[in-house]
Amino acid sequence: MGSTSSQLDKDALSEYQELTFLTKQEIILAHERFSAMLPQEYKGATNIRLPMEKILEMPELKSNPFNKRICHVFSTSQPNDGSLTFEDFLDLLSAFSEAATMEIKSHYAFRIFDSDNDGTLGREDLEKMVTLLTGDSKDTSLNGEEMGQLINNILEESDIDKDGTVNLSEFQHVISRSPDFVSSFKIVL
Amino acid sequence: MIGELERQGLGPTGNDFPGDQEPPRLRRAPSRASDRNYPRYDWSADPAEEEDGAGNAEAPPEIRTLPWPMERKRAVRQVQQMRAHVSFGAESWRRNKTKSLRKLQQNVREFLYFFSLWRKSLQKIGGNFGGGVKSYFVFLRFLVVLNFVSFLLIAGFVIAPSLVRRSAGTGGFVNSTDKESCLVYDPNPQGLVVFYEFFLHLLSGTGFMEDSFMFYGYYNNNTAVEDGSLSYNIPLAYLFTAAFYFAFCLCCIIARMGTAARVAVATGGRAIGNYSLIVFTGWDYGCLGDRATKLKQKNIYYRLQVDLEEERIKKRAASLTPWRKVALYTLRVLMFLIALGLIGTAFYGIFEATKFSQENGDRFGILGLFIEYLPSIVITTGNFLVPLLCDQIALLEKYSPSITVVVALLRAVVLRLVSLGILLFTLWSQITCSGDLEKEDCGNCSYNNKKYQCWETSVGQEMYKLTLFDLLVTIALLVLVEFPRRMVVDNWSSKLSQLVGRQEFVVPSNVLGLVYGQTVVWTGALFCPLLPLINTIKFVILFYCKKITLFCNCRPALKTFRSTTSTFFFLVVLLFGWGLALVAMIYSLAVIHPSYACGPFRFFTTMWAIVPNSFYSLSEVTQEFLFFIGSQAFSIPLFALSCVVMCYFIALASIYGRSVAMLKAQLKLEGQDKQFLVKQIEKMKRNNI
Repeated sequence: MGSTSSQLDKDALSEYQELTFLTKQEIILAHERFSAMLPQEYKGATNIRLPMEKILEMPELKSNPFNKRICHVFSTSQPNDGSLTFEDFLDLLSAFSEAATMEIKSHYAFRIFDSDNDGTLGREDLEKMVTLLTGDSKDTSLNGEEMGQLINNILEESDIDKDGTVNLSEFQHVISRSPDFVSSFKIVL
Repeated sequence: MIGELERQGLGPTGNDFPGDQEPPRLRRAPSRASDRNYPRYDWSADPAEEEDGAGNAEAPPEIRTLPWPMERKRAVRQVQQMRAHVSFGAESWRRNKTKSLRKLQQNVREFLYFFSLWRKSLQKIGGNFGGGVKSYFVFLRFLVVLNFVSFLLIAGFVIAPSLVRRSAGTGGFVNSTDKESCLVYDPNPQGLVVFYEFFLHLLSGTGFMEDSFMFYGYYNNNTAVEDGSLSYNIPLAYLFTAAFYFAFCLCCIIARMGTAARVAVATGGRAIGNYSLIVFTGWDYGCLGDRATKLKQKNIYYRLQVDLEEERIKKRAASLTPWRKVALYTLRVLMFLIALGLIGTAFYGIFEATKFSQENGDRFGILGLFIEYLPSIVITTGNFLVPLLCDQIALLEKYSPSITVVVALLRAVVLRLVSLGILLFTLWSQITCSGDLEKEDCGNCSYNNKKYQCWETSVGQEMYKLTLFDLLVTIALLVLVEFPRRMVVDNWSSKLSQLVGRQEFVVPSNVLGLVYGQTVVWTGALFCPLLPLINTIKFVILFYCKKITLFCNCRPALKTFRSTTSTFFFLVVLLFGWGLALVAMIYSLAVIHPSYACGPFRFFTTMWAIVPNSFYSLSEVTQEFLFFIGSQAFSIPLFALSCVVMCYFIALASIYGRSVAMLKAQLKLEGQDKQFLVKQIEKMKRNNI
């Protein structure tokens, strides 16, 4: 098609500006990037879902060890398969944007780390998280004893009500003490 | 209470076996966890009703701060808009006002977005090399902006009026005094000029450069009078601009420290615990590319390893026998003395070099240039060698890794700033004959007239030479050391090149270089008004040079420097430099007699003397007002009031700390209550069966 694929109309643009933390330029840029990933026959249609594999080809997400978890958290598809519509994509960028508040970022960080979606970070969640953080290769993975020592230390520091798991408030309490979190939890196109 | 348990997902467990001893949390029916953790939005709340009830109702939370998918947020917005149509009066006016305020804030943010200098470069640096290296470049950008704005200030208040004054043409009046010999000053000796003299003058600030707006000696002490009505007191402007420049820099630094300090205080000084912080907040989502990701992973692994090992070392150190402890402490004291000795040797070397350079400063040609630059050369060599040796010493001291880093930095800071101080002290002793104004050289004009016809310009020239030399050394290192090192390591694989490896971008020493350069500029700004502009250009060149070397020659460091605490540390060190420059400026203003032969302050006993002189030309009312402000009747109540305000804030801070501790204890108790109640429920169910 000759014309540029579906420009955003002004109403939608101002609505997105109000509902997300993104600036006008960022929303337009996101729209361009999203449309560029759509297959040719769907360009110009709205409410299309991009499958997770396509999203993971973006350079910003490609090598991120948490990329699959991120897609699952922001996806609104009914059997959750990690596919994103444009609005899910905007939600993702809004949570990772420069202007987003600490509360929103810590909320979504918690959900990304919660691999089994049970609302708390148990030992398995923490172990999976540490493995993703340090990488899978042999020279950067902790052995069993070190992992156990680490998880014990983490639980001792952050589990205030001593129930063996870290819930959202405890997580946010730890995060609020970190000066670097807001600036490192950022993805900018 | 039951409702609360149900809200946490512990539904009725009729199907479970009574003898099950699993923790209660696992026994719920699987449900969408997201619902449980979403904040509750009160759909039925009517803002108008709340307004009537309580005096000041809070605005409903901004929709975008709710962690919900877009459709839900849209629904909430529609509900809000419908309500907005219904309510009237003050309520809707206030809502419209908050909305327009938010829109204004957003527009301002988007506007400032365009003006952010080097934004894309910084993003690329942060993504590939991490937050620590990025904080160096952010600091450099801050200094560039600071210097440029200061230059605009100085240009507006001092240089422009002087330009106008010069072009207006009338020469300065000369007080007739009996100090004939002190008035001799000729910066531009005519005669045959060798062809490379131009280049030499450029590098050392003499000749045509000395007789220009660059240096203090060029400015006149006249008050520009235009048509008898407009008068501009250039000397007063010069003094006040210099003072305001210092105050302005202080405000900028403190403002920037404010954010970092607030965060540092909020984290309570002591980190809550390294492990949780590293694991929960360690990942940088801006990392681009496979290589950067793998490096970040290695970095996190390294940090975790180091912390786990430090824990093991601490356990081992706590179990040291007393004899071994004594041995370790004596070793540490010995190493400290050795480090002190090294630093002292460097200071002595600088002192001697400066004295030699000042005494033999009138040779010509290349040798003369070398002698002129001797202090800079010695300072740079000292700043390079001594930290290397101190690093080796630190290996023997066996402190824990974090303390080692801090100790090394402190030593380097002390070395840099005090060596600059030694240079200034030597200059002072030369200019004022070591404070003894009765010596034959200084007796005539209260400063060493034989050597320095215009001592302020000489000091300015010295600072100019330091700045220039710093830049030249950086570029020379880049071309002669860093690029060849990379080529050797990449193309010649031998054991030696593997050992040496590609260079790492070491953030702390680079930052100290910036602080040193900025301190030199602050010290010299009073004597060389164009120095901030030169420094701006120098820092811009430095930014691009460092960026090139970073991307071409460096590999990312394994040990990183934490970014926000490090920003605070950089600013603290910058404040030390500012303090040193302030001491130098105050001393020159208040104690040393200005030159008779040049500058806007000739014929005053000190530079500061112009302020009382001009003061008496103000109107009576203003004079009385200013006297009142300076008197005890005003300052003592002001001091008492600020003490009271400070006590209030300290009390407030301690109350907050205590309530945080109390809330934590309460949380613990609630958790125990919950466990107890769940066990009771199980027991009751078992009894009922």
